[in-house]
Amino acid sequence: MVMIAVFAPVTLGLATLWLPREWIERRMAVAVAGPALAFVLLLSIAVGASDHLGAGKDAHHGDTATAFGSEHLTTGTLNWMPSLNINFAFLTDGLGLFFALLVSGVGVCIFLYARGYFGREGPTSADDLYRFYPTIGFFTTAMLGVVLADYTILTLLFWEMTSISSFLLIGWDRYDKKAVKLAMQAFFTTGLGGMGLFGGVLVFGNATGNIVEGGIWRWSQMLEHSEALQTALLNITNNPQLMWAFVLMFIGAGTKSAQFPFHYWLPGAMAAPTPVSAFLHSATMVKAGVFLVGRLFPVFAALPLFPQLIIPFGAATMLYGGVVALQQHDLKRIFAYTTVSQLGLLMAMYGLGAIDFEFVKDGKTLTAAAIDFDVTQIANHAFYKAPLFIAAGAIGHVLSRDITQLNGAFYKHKAICGTMMAAALGLAAVPGTISFQAKELFLYAVMHAAKVSPWLWIVMGMTIITAVCNVAICVRVWTTLLGLKGGMSEADAPEAHHDHHHEHPHEHGLLANLIWFPGAAIVSLQFLGGLFPGAFWGPIFGGFEQTAATGNYFYKGVPNLWYILTHAFESLPFWISMFCLVAGFFVGRSRLGRGAVKDFADHIYPVMYWLSVTGGGRCFRVVQTGNLKHYLLFVLGAMLLGFGWAVQLDISNGGGMLDAVSIEAARFFEYWPGILIGFIACLTAVLIPTTDSRIVRVVFLGATGFAVVALYLVYQAPDLALTQLMFEIISVILFVIVLRLLPKEKRGRDAGKLWRVPIAVAVGLAFGWMTLVAASNNRGNGAFADDGVTPLVEPSNPHAEPLGVTLAQHSYGLKTDEFGNTKLETAMSEGPDGVSERGGGGTNIVNVILVDFRGFDTLGEICVLGLAAMGVWSMLPHRRRKSDPKREVETDYPQDAIEPPLDDLGQGVTA
Amino acid sequence: MTMVLAICVAVTFAVSIYLMLGRELKGVAMGVFLLGHAANLSIIAMSGSPVQTDAQQQTAEHAGVHLTSVDSPEMKDPPILTNQYANEQPLAQMVDPLPQALILTAIVIGFGVMAFLLTLLVVTNRKARTIEVSDLAEEAREA
Repeated sequence: MVMIAVFAPVTLGLATLWLPREWIERRMAVAVAGPALAFVLLLSIAVGASDHLGAGKDAHHGDTATAFGSEHLTTGTLNWMPSLNINFAFLTDGLGLFFALLVSGVGVCIFLYARGYFGREGPTSADDLYRFYPTIGFFTTAMLGVVLADYTILTLLFWEMTSISSFLLIGWDRYDKKAVKLAMQAFFTTGLGGMGLFGGVLVFGNATGNIVEGGIWRWSQMLEHSEALQTALLNITNNPQLMWAFVLMFIGAGTKSAQFPFHYWLPGAMAAPTPVSAFLHSATMVKAGVFLVGRLFPVFAALPLFPQLIIPFGAATMLYGGVVALQQHDLKRIFAYTTVSQLGLLMAMYGLGAIDFEFVKDGKTLTAAAIDFDVTQIANHAFYKAPLFIAAGAIGHVLSRDITQLNGAFYKHKAICGTMMAAALGLAAVPGTISFQAKELFLYAVMHAAKVSPWLWIVMGMTIITAVCNVAICVRVWTTLLGLKGGMSEADAPEAHHDHHHEHPHEHGLLANLIWFPGAAIVSLQFLGGLFPGAFWGPIFGGFEQTAATGNYFYKGVPNLWYILTHAFESLPFWISMFCLVAGFFVGRSRLGRGAVKDFADHIYPVMYWLSVTGGGRCFRVVQTGNLKHYLLFVLGAMLLGFGWAVQLDISNGGGMLDAVSIEAARFFEYWPGILIGFIACLTAVLIPTTDSRIVRVVFLGATGFAVVALYLVYQAPDLALTQLMFEIISVILFVIVLRLLPKEKRGRDAGKLWRVPIAVAVGLAFGWMTLVAASNNRGNGAFADDGVTPLVEPSNPHAEPLGVTLAQHSYGLKTDEFGNTKLETAMSEGPDGVSERGGGGTNIVNVILVDFRGFDTLGEICVLGLAAMGVWSMLPHRRRKSDPKREVETDYPQDAIEPPLDDLGQGVTA
Repeated sequence: MTMVLAICVAVTFAVSIYLMLGRELKGVAMGVFLLGHAANLSIIAMSGSPVQTDAQQQTAEHAGVHLTSVDSPEMKDPPILTNQYANEQPLAQMVDPLPQALILTAIVIGFGVMAFLLTLLVVTNRKARTIEVSDLAEEAREA
């Protein structure tokens, strides 16, 4: 069932491709069915699990173990690559299921919104929607896979799929070079993190071999053995591999979740259409890193490095994102930086969770992790950020996305601006939104953690500044949209730019409202949760909470708004929240940070790109000289080194290679015609370079070839001799023709010839020796042994016949008689006394091998010849056409070349 | 006989490398051509010496095989099944056919490669107006 849920979005998304382009409404209906189906299926799992396990639980008070903590619900396994530990299995625990519901639920809204965003009457609407639904369906499936996959490597596969779909969606406008560049930037950055995750997963699987046989390759296994793992993590000096596994996985999480200094890709990703920004780059995909840290949290929180690494990165990201967000003008960039900031907060939250603090309750000292309600934090962010983006995209359609252009926009577009303003309240964490409670909880977490390590008060300060910035942004959005005094106006933008303004025909009718309604639906959850946390929020989200699983919670249930307001006076976080609201209000009204600033991190990727391209080019120019001589020397040098190493090894192993030389040297004079022919071959070869005349050289070359033909005859290979003879003749003719076409050799530049001699001699000796050794060691074959009785080298399997013998026996067809002798079969019928086999049916064994046993090889050989002929034909000038004067210019010959008989050459080569 | 062959391989290899390191592409083409010979010779060495040892001859005579080959008596037979041997077992006196089959393929492909190479040579000369290795390298760096 989970499998269906995961793959429903992509399947239905692809199914929309079969619909005609004009069917926009029906296309939307089919596409929306994907995430909707996933949502329903996953919900049924969640409800079923809570009915089964959590009967009678009171989530509001959180007293009992909740639905998803006590048992890790894995689905059955569908084998894919069991040997590599990659199979399809899904883990539907609280965290994964929560994320999956978030993805599919927001997905439904975004699918609807896309219809409103791309419109109906626009020039490219139909095409855009045609492309959009399959792509976004692909992403939805990938994201569901990331959060639900049980096998670590399966998670990685889906993880990379989200990167790919993100790349496709950011570079949506294929003709916009800037968008494509930004898409590549996002892809490379998250892809780098993907490599980190891959490494982390592999190291983790390898390092845990002592805990589970074969290592841990499933998240459920990791959670099952969390105690053993925690013990190992506490003595990390004995298990340094586990620490590296964590660091590598954190690189993956950090790049995906846009942690400082890798955050630059996220604002860049705003080149994507707004539905994509709302879905991928605020609500879901960027949370994958947070999800991963949350997945690791129950186990890796024991690692001392966990808070030390995560908190600084998270806090720095939070502060930086908040401050930069305040100083942006483009709405999407504002919200992108607040997303960065919020992601930092979520990371820091998990980091803080790893710090245990002690508290006194009812006279007893208890220890608890300074974490609570991680799911609330994550859901809270999705529930105001997605609507913000939706509204930003909508307002960008009708007016502009530049906040300085939007003064008083509320009176023109009430629904859109209303949605945005409501969601901005969530950003500011105003009391009445769930965001307020979430901020409270985070402040509590910081405070508790700071009791353990006082330097964390710095984080508290950073949180306050970030919150002030967020409130200021909210104030500016409100005042601007309402056209109040102190709002942003064109006076704040030194150079007004309208480049984000898209002209879209304004739509009317019910479906036109899809441009803002999904946002309003999502943001309403903010207020429902904020106003009725006990009745609404707690029962729904309480069961998913991570801390509920481990039982370490310090705050029972999401705090009630009225409770906080009435009991607030003694609690520090409340006063901090209030201070942030007030200070934020004044900052928002002030002239502080009104100009748009550039993020210095935007330069990181271009600089890295430039460095690698130019560095690579420089490397290329050094290594690739273009001189054949250098390449050849490099290859030969490597070969000689390898040979020297082999000789060295051989000597240390008893010197079989040296023995081979002496054994064969003793048989030097066994056949004197052979010696004579060998001498001729050597002599003619050596004579080739001694002469300057190229014709004489070719003659010597041919003579060597004929000597080789004779050697083949000595070796009882008549087929080879015939073939070589024929090709030798053609080759010599060809050489003579070609030499006529080439310029004459320039004399007097033969200096520096001598250095070639030692290299050539060394290589020749090496090859000769290798031949000798190979030929004399290959005698593990009964029939072809030197003495015919005992092989020089005992074959590893004495009953195995060498391939040559087998091929010879089967080349005609043979029969075993009653004495065990193998005879050639003359008739097809089976003899009375033995086994009869049908062979290749030829008496020339070499021919049978070529056309029968290695028939496909020979076919390939024919293809090679054909290709060579085609290559020759294509390189030679074609028959000139009189109507093509350009070609004649190209085929002009250099003056010093002899005018060639071109057609003859072409025929000669291809014949 | 293997020793003789090994010496031939060594010499042809050395000469071909010497030619390939030369100043002009013409020499390189000749070197490649010679290299093909050397490689083929080293492959055929794998079939062992074609000369029968005394022990082999004795075994053959013991098995009742009459050595009526066209070659001199002490040589092995080519890998061709003749009618004459239809009722005998000829395999012990035969050279290994496998290296020969491999070389046959190699010869043909080697020829194709050489034809291609020579055409490249002509075309290079026509375009670059030189076949000197160092000139071509300079041209490549400038491009």
